[in-house]
Amino acid sequence: MARLSSSIITSSADFRRNYSASKARIADFEARQRAARFDRPARDVERLAKQGKLLPRQRLEALLDPGTPFLELSSLAANMAYDGESPGASSITGIGVVSGREVMLHADDSSIKGGAWYPHTIKKIVRCLDIALENHLPVVHLCDSAGGFLPLQSALFPDKHMAGRIFRNQSLLSQQGIKQLALVFGHCTAGGAYIPALSDYAVIVRGTGAVFLAGPPLVKAATGEIVTVDDLGGCDLHTQVSGSCDYPAATEQEAIAIGREIVAQWDRPAKWPAQRDAVEAPYYDPDELHGIIPDDIKRGFDMREVIARLVDGSRFHEYQPAYGTTLVCGYANLWGYKIGILANNGVLFNDSALKGAHFIELCNQNNTPLVFLQNITGYMVGREYEARGITKDGAKMIMAQSCSRVPKFTVMCHGSFGAGNYGMCGRAYDARFLFAWPNHQIGVMGGEQAARTLAEVKMRQLERNSGTVDQAVVDAVYQETLKAYQEQLSAYYSTSELWDDGIINPVDTRNALGVAISASLNAPLPDNRYGVFRF
Amino acid sequence: MPSILTLDGAPAELDVTARRPLLTLQVDGQAYTVEELPADEDGARTLLINGVPYTVWRTREGDRVHVKLDDAYYSVGYQEAVVAAAQGGNAGNEIRADMPGMVVEVMASLEAEVNAGDALLVIESMKMQITIAAPRAGVVESLHVERNGSFQKGALLLSLRALAE
Amino acid sequence: MLKNVLIANRGEIACRIIRTLRRLGIQSTAVYHFADRGAPHVAAADYAVELTAEVPTAAYLDVAQLLAAARSAGADAIHPGYGFLAENAGFAAAVEDAGLVFIGPQPEVIRLMGDKIISREFAVAQGVPVAPSCKQEGSLEDFVAGATAIGFPLLIKAAAGGGGKGMSIVRSADELPARAATASSEALRYFADGRVYAERYVERPRHIEVQVFGDGQGHVVHLFERECSVQRRFQKIIEESPAPNLPAALRDRICTAAVQLAAAANYRNAGTVEFILAPDGAFYFLEMNTRLQVEHPVTECVTGLDLVELQLRLAGGEPFSLAQSDITQTGHAFECRLCAEQPEHDFRPATGRVMRLREPAGEGLRFDGGLREGLAITAAFDSMLAKLIAHGGDRQESAARMRDALQELVLLGVDHNADYLGRIFAHRAFLAGQLHTGFVVEHAAALAAPTLDPTQRAAVLIAAVLGTDEFQRLAYDCPEPHASIGHWRN
Repeated sequence: MARLSSSIITSSADFRRNYSASKARIADFEARQRAARFDRPARDVERLAKQGKLLPRQRLEALLDPGTPFLELSSLAANMAYDGESPGASSITGIGVVSGREVMLHADDSSIKGGAWYPHTIKKIVRCLDIALENHLPVVHLCDSAGGFLPLQSALFPDKHMAGRIFRNQSLLSQQGIKQLALVFGHCTAGGAYIPALSDYAVIVRGTGAVFLAGPPLVKAATGEIVTVDDLGGCDLHTQVSGSCDYPAATEQEAIAIGREIVAQWDRPAKWPAQRDAVEAPYYDPDELHGIIPDDIKRGFDMREVIARLVDGSRFHEYQPAYGTTLVCGYANLWGYKIGILANNGVLFNDSALKGAHFIELCNQNNTPLVFLQNITGYMVGREYEARGITKDGAKMIMAQSCSRVPKFTVMCHGSFGAGNYGMCGRAYDARFLFAWPNHQIGVMGGEQAARTLAEVKMRQLERNSGTVDQAVVDAVYQETLKAYQEQLSAYYSTSELWDDGIINPVDTRNALGVAISASLNAPLPDNRYGVFRF
Repeated sequence: MPSILTLDGAPAELDVTARRPLLTLQVDGQAYTVEELPADEDGARTLLINGVPYTVWRTREGDRVHVKLDDAYYSVGYQEAVVAAAQGGNAGNEIRADMPGMVVEVMASLEAEVNAGDALLVIESMKMQITIAAPRAGVVESLHVERNGSFQKGALLLSLRALAE
Repeated sequence: MLKNVLIANRGEIACRIIRTLRRLGIQSTAVYHFADRGAPHVAAADYAVELTAEVPTAAYLDVAQLLAAARSAGADAIHPGYGFLAENAGFAAAVEDAGLVFIGPQPEVIRLMGDKIISREFAVAQGVPVAPSCKQEGSLEDFVAGATAIGFPLLIKAAAGGGGKGMSIVRSADELPARAATASSEALRYFADGRVYAERYVERPRHIEVQVFGDGQGHVVHLFERECSVQRRFQKIIEESPAPNLPAALRDRICTAAVQLAAAANYRNAGTVEFILAPDGAFYFLEMNTRLQVEHPVTECVTGLDLVELQLRLAGGEPFSLAQSDITQTGHAFECRLCAEQPEHDFRPATGRVMRLREPAGEGLRFDGGLREGLAITAAFDSMLAKLIAHGGDRQESAARMRDALQELVLLGVDHNADYLGRIFAHRAFLAGQLHTGFVVEHAAALAAPTLDPTQRAAVLIAAVLGTDEFQRLAYDCPEPHASIGHWRN
């Protein structure tokens, strides 16, 4: 495969403006991440220290193999919810290596309101277990939670994808032979008690770990029984009497060491043999991505420049280089893995949609994972394109993509608007992992388009009802819409709502995809099968 | 969690910091690249540490790793992480028997303050009397043996606790 | 000729005896305790009989079981080796009473030499020098006078006890009366017996011993001397023959004295007469060991004789025809005792398991061991693992061979003293033959393991940690691309 040749001039004013803007965005992103990870009320940190507890990230670091990556997911979940009361949605999830095995990790963050589960916490845990199910990843739960955040019970308890889904997913993981280990560092109360109970292995720390359906206050209220935490659901009760936990540990360190040894016993089911070649670093410096991403959402850029900074040796085999050129398709290797890339270089036309659908089918035939690099304003609109069947051609792409059996990965590189999001494997299409860059925006349409559209609708409505148009009212609609969209279109809003698996620094994309692709190969490939294509 | 090894009575922390392009280990905060060549028929292998070759024979026996590095022998203490973690809370407090034997004399008394190096017990094993000295200053918290009593390898002989501040 | 010999021993000496038995076409019978069931001496022998005892060493001391084993295996003789029952007159007598041949001296000779006081008196009677001494019989004044007559320095101690209580070294006549009084009062306090005892105190003494062999009919020869001055905790660790820096005339006198003593006792079979040699050339009888010595191989190397063969032939009824003039000393031989111990911790014994063994081999080398890989080294028996013997044209060549052999040796799984021995063999005073029994104490600092610099220390730790499965897995059992990505956080 030939190396892509970059036409970027790093000394150009354009590049340098983009670069400094992107670096500023990254600084902002990292500041938000730092705050979400480490800004905690002093009294909470002191309370944990007094209990002899490690902070959740210290537990994770001790559990992970040294010198290995940890792909944290949704580090800024809930960053725009609850007035910032639940940074990171009060939990940490991600993929790491424990005792040489790729595992999904789920840790309650007891440094935030005792690790209570907010609605977004549950969404994050459910998503993490969905990933474990889809990719056959064993799970290690690091439990330390006070239970559901009761004031918001209606938003976390009753619906299909709420708290119950955690335990449903745990059960299905077990059904599929995917292992789970629970390390009980703190409380597992109410529903949370089922996490160790539904795990294959459970280790509990003496003195601080406790598992019960109802804590002492609730027991007293319910039956009048007065009982201590330890007697009700402590380490010795569960490891010696009830059998709800398996291994007692004197300290958190011991629990972690036991946990690591448990994972070391696990078999390593064969991965499906994806094509893999020797790894080569990208020829072009990934840091240059900062100068390639435009500072303006409306400005386009050549996605090949991005590809050149993600893939092995910056080598790319482009498929149909002369046809449907607004969608760049082709093969490359990433951390050695053969992948098929679909990348937007403009609006999708009939030919680009057909090319995309065809390339997706080729990758399914060839057992090649798909990577979608989104920067899409949608499928082309207008009479001419409707007449050419842009809708049915877009549908073909959606059909091919939806029915893909190979793992799919999506990176939101810039904009994701309208139906283009569907064809390019948006959140609804079960990409195994979906990451977003901090500059990314998503919506059914752009903010200005939406404001214009709604102002237009308002003007017609005013005309119809009163015959006159108060321009101030129309302008107000325009401005309100624009403001609301700008907030909701932002990557921080998306990630807050868990519409992605996390914002990542563009230069981290290669590593994130490497870990994600490796994880995806744990699940067997289903047969190749599609629905009915409309021709 | 780094692995804790002991050599000549002093602990050392070892951990992996990288695996590619070369295995890199950190020993007490200092990084070293390591290449292990396969062992020859004799069991000797060449270890390149920061590119310097060493000839190594080694074997594990109990909680010691016996190493012959170039022309000298070393005995390095190693415990599996679970074992080390289980004792981590009170390392240095427990004095255990290195080998089975019998207690000849008990010099330590309960609640007595001792300095590092103070004789605590004299034990006899394999026809030799060995004085067990305090590994550090502390207070004798418990005595698990008495004069003329026998013990097995690994038995807890005596526990110390830190001196009050 | 003997047909079947039972070896009432274990370990390297049992293996060594079996080797000669096999060469001579004599069958061998090993005995073993359950703890030794996998030991090489059991496998090496033609027959093996298990002895039972709660404590393993007790099995090898059980006379009745040993005799029963000899009967059941059809043995016609018993070789006791060294240690265990080798110097037990009762055992020797019981063997002979059972109609078997005891490969060693007559029981009454064992008894004679086994008693320190009687043997000393016997030596005095034969004109063999013993360290002058004086025991308080009457008044303290008489004692002081007697002690002064011995000369200085003197060691004085309680006549009734030991353990260093009331013991002191007196260097001049001036201080003797006061020191004798102090010693006497301490002796009274500790042993309720105020009598004191004095003997010539030899500073920087050497341990010289003579290998003798007799036919029990009065014909005794010597096989020259061995120097065994390098000792730790009163046990020999390096022996050699000939003794370095020993004038020929003095050596002849020592050897002659040894033969004289053995002949007077009508000594039969192999024995060793031990002497203390003072720096001024005075030598004193210490004791006689009525058995094969641990360090007999150095004598075998320089004389070219197989001492066990001599023992067996004599025991089998062949006349002992070797004349003193037939025995020559060629070259120089060293023996190192490889012990399971920690020299850096006051030679504390070590236990473990032989996990890896590469025996040195080559010209002039001999490795007498009873080891195999997998063998447990327990506290049940003596800490000596094996003996490494080097023979060369002269002391220098022999020492060089020993140094190479110690480096070639690989013995892993138990702490041992090979490095320590190697440092002795590199020490200038040792190479110059400046030996005395306090050698290892005098040179303790120089013989201590060198301190490791941080790089060497790291190398040792790295080599060690990679020798554990757990760390091997941690280092090498990492999936890709994670291993290539390395530490990374997003």
